[in-house]
Amino acid sequence: MFWDKPVETMEEEALRELQLRLLNETLAKAAGAPFYRDLPVREVKSLEDFRAVPFTKKQDLRENFPYGFLRTDLSEAVRLHSSSGTTGNPTVVFHTMDDLEKWTDQVARCLYMVGVRKEDVFQNTMGYGLFTGGLGFQYGAEKLGALTIPIGPGNSRRQIWFMQTFGTTVVHILPSYALRLYSVFEEMGLDPKKDTKLRIFIIGSEPHSEELRRQIEELYGVKAYNSYGLSEMCGPGVGFECPYQDGIHIWEDRYIVEVIDPETGETVPDGEEGELVLTTLQKEAMPLLRYRTGDLTSVIPGRCRCGRVHKRVARIKGRADDMLIINGVNLFPIQIEKTIMKIPGVGKNYLIEIKTENFMDKLYVKVEVDREIFAGTLSGLTELQNRITEELKGEILVTPTVQLVEPGSLPVWEGKAKRVQDMRNK
Amino acid sequence: MTYHLSIFMENRPGKLERITKILADHAVNIRAISLASAGEFGVAKFLVDNGETAYNALKEQNITVSKRRILIILLSDEPGAMHGLLQVLAENEINLEDCYGFVIDRGNQAALVIEAEKYPQAEGVLREKGYKLLSDEELRSL
Ligand SMILES: [Zn+2]
Repeated sequence: MFWDKPVETMEEEALRELQLRLLNETLAKAAGAPFYRDLPVREVKSLEDFRAVPFTKKQDLRENFPYGFLRTDLSEAVRLHSSSGTTGNPTVVFHTMDDLEKWTDQVARCLYMVGVRKEDVFQNTMGYGLFTGGLGFQYGAEKLGALTIPIGPGNSRRQIWFMQTFGTTVVHILPSYALRLYSVFEEMGLDPKKDTKLRIFIIGSEPHSEELRRQIEELYGVKAYNSYGLSEMCGPGVGFECPYQDGIHIWEDRYIVEVIDPETGETVPDGEEGELVLTTLQKEAMPLLRYRTGDLTSVIPGRCRCGRVHKRVARIKGRADDMLIINGVNLFPIQIEKTIMKIPGVGKNYLIEIKTENFMDKLYVKVEVDREIFAGTLSGLTELQNRITEELKGEILVTPTVQLVEPGSLPVWEGKAKRVQDMRNK
Repeated sequence: MTYHLSIFMENRPGKLERITKILADHAVNIRAISLASAGEFGVAKFLVDNGETAYNALKEQNITVSKRRILIILLSDEPGAMHGLLQVLAENEINLEDCYGFVIDRGNQAALVIEAEKYPQAEGVLREKGYKLLSDEELRSL
């Protein structure tokens, strides 16, 4: 059950002591990076003192591109990963050999926690290359001893062929792609429950709702676990759900977890929503102090039933910049997803469109109908349409125009789903 | 059982044409069609000579289609025929969920397609009153 028993079963006090020691080591190391050279705090007596250290923002990474955060000699760095920037410089993250080994170990720890073993066949449908989802899991699954297939994204029929031919048991997949892949199974006349050996799905890289996870579990007859990571920390392996599927454990021997009010920067109490802030504790090439992830979540109070003390955060609600403001009302796309996905008759894809009409914001939700549940009557369809409208109204306090569309007619994505199209006049 | 094919469709140009192309490609003959719309989307019902072939072909093309049970009642193509039939149905409290007609032989014979709530009962009442119902085989050989 434990990949690294001493660390995973550490008691609260020992874990905090370990964090304090590692934090002071990190503060000393970070001074080697140009960006942290003039840091006001060099040593802390307690984790609370640490709050005197200013936040590091994504913008800082961009502005200090490319080497402003590198603290080792370039010759020590063995890998870089980079996230594509839509504006300005990309963010670049460097790794020493030790960083890669620790990252690999973290991913193996996550996989082992949910029951992946050396006998498993692991198919990784995430992108390889600069994106961390591919290589991160490749090394982690290999370290654990699983036969690991670096198939990468796309080509659904080939994915299915590999699953069937090599008896794939574990898949790492984008949640939106998992649903799309299922329709390809259907088109091929296959039922993944009967025609594959799939048992575990690792889903991540996109915010998704509990309802979507349950749908994936039902369609494939698997357990699906939520994986959390970001390339600035390393990539996947930062946090993971345990078998209880009740929040994401962040590995606290590797990171300090804080949740802050994004407006004031003040720490919010456990259970309250805010922005996740992480500090690396064992990074060599590029330590990051109080890094604002942009991800909105909350710390789940209390100890997990699995026994691990490592803090749990709630499923990521989205990024602070995912928030939509429609005629002055704030809402997150994931609220729409979780509402529609539990309504019978709703299919596997949806799209949110926002337009300006008569100087007002207008919210459109396009929903694919479920081909299997269609009973053939117009009244059944209008009932479905009304139900979606009413339930959305209750959840988001905005009245949407719900449009039912044919299955397979909405756009699909090679990578992460882009389910919001904001066409408002700016 | 006699049925027609009920298809979910977005109300956009080319959508209906996509269906008729699939049917034509599979040599399926359309006997009658009815459309009902609720703005952005609607339901098209196709009565065809070979329901099974059509259904499978549409399914294969990922069309959202389902089979709906119907009764096809033969009427003489003359004033009052339709009224007589509706009277019988009303007297027996049989609700129509959908209904459309087509002419088989101008001035001589027409057919009315109905989706009713209570099938065996509707069928029994109509036969008792002397109405002739079109069977699958007859539909195929029209
Ligand atoms: Zn747990």
